[in-house]
Amino acid sequence: MEVDVTRKIPTIEIDHSRCTVPFLCAKCVRTCPQAVFLVDSVKVERFKETDPREPGSFKLGTESRFKCTGCNECVDVCPVDAITITWPQ
Amino acid sequence: MCWMCDKYGEGGLWYLNPKLYARQMYRLREPGQGPQNFGQLGLREGDERPMTLSEVIRIRNDEPERYSEALNLLNDDIRTHATGQAIPLQDAIKIAELGVPMASMFCLCRKRMRAIEEREEEEYSCLGTGPGMFKWERWPERYRGGVHFMPPNEVKEWLEKWNKRGFMHIIMTMGVGYVEGICNCEYPDCDAIRHRLDYGVLSMLKGHYVARVDYDKCNGCGICIQRCQFGAAKFEVRMDKTNIDQYLCYGCGLCETGCPRGAITMVDRMSLPGLREVW
Repeated sequence: MEVDVTRKIPTIEIDHSRCTVPFLCAKCVRTCPQAVFLVDSVKVERFKETDPREPGSFKLGTESRFKCTGCNECVDVCPVDAITITWPQ
Repeated sequence: MCWMCDKYGEGGLWYLNPKLYARQMYRLREPGQGPQNFGQLGLREGDERPMTLSEVIRIRNDEPERYSEALNLLNDDIRTHATGQAIPLQDAIKIAELGVPMASMFCLCRKRMRAIEEREEEEYSCLGTGPGMFKWERWPERYRGGVHFMPPNEVKEWLEKWNKRGFMHIIMTMGVGYVEGICNCEYPDCDAIRHRLDYGVLSMLKGHYVARVDYDKCNGCGICIQRCQFGAAKFEVRMDKTNIDQYLCYGCGLCETGCPRGAITMVDRMSLPGLREVW
């Protein structure tokens, strides 16, 4: 697969001290037109279901960051201002 | 025949080989024996592979100039193991006779990608095959609320239901020649489609069929275009009909099952010299 190495890719910082229950909130996850985000349970235990209400049990990631176009809809929709997108100069 | 058929098909389509649903396949997965589990590659610590899926994803974002090399390493590794494939509804229905025991569960990809959790049995859109389904209670995070066991006839109706709604079917393996289940999928929330289309990872092979439009029957209604996951179907204005690019087609057959006029047929990929080695 050919990759355009000149195309800019932003860094997307998530402040996990603010974004604590991403699976319950999920606003950015469902708003993003490019489906850049994902939420993973980080507390996986045998015989026990992860509680999405427990802070820190799920973590927001930006798996497909290279698909971000910079529309900033996730930043606008985030209720705790946890997302920062920075573009390289 | 695709390379999965060469390796596991014993003369036929690999996913219709009953041996790949046999309980004995589980023994290959004992620690220290048999191939690694590709489904978990890069997700599990301690995997020593030439390249992992998570590393390929990281490199695509952080070091695009290294991407081609990393992707080739991963795809070469996948080719020596096993992967999934797009299949049309007709073949998924045949599998419903082979995969017993079968149980539906929620879709993990959709849960991760869009935080959409299928909480009720009627919402479950993922199908697991084989005796591994009896172990679901060990992993409630994966099989939340249990799994729903179904006999073959119910599985067929269930597949038709999701197909009607616009999900395509993918047959999945565990990285060895053992069928794990059938997913009902769409872009972008399906990992297998996503990794294939956006990353070029052979997480899902193209299917054994290719869509062909009969221009005498097509009236340009556009339903097939709405259903195509791959951007292969387009409305051709001057012709007032659908055009399907067979190089972009993955052979899932969603256009065929959605066409109200029977204007689309799925032809054998092997009958097309330009496509018979395009998987």
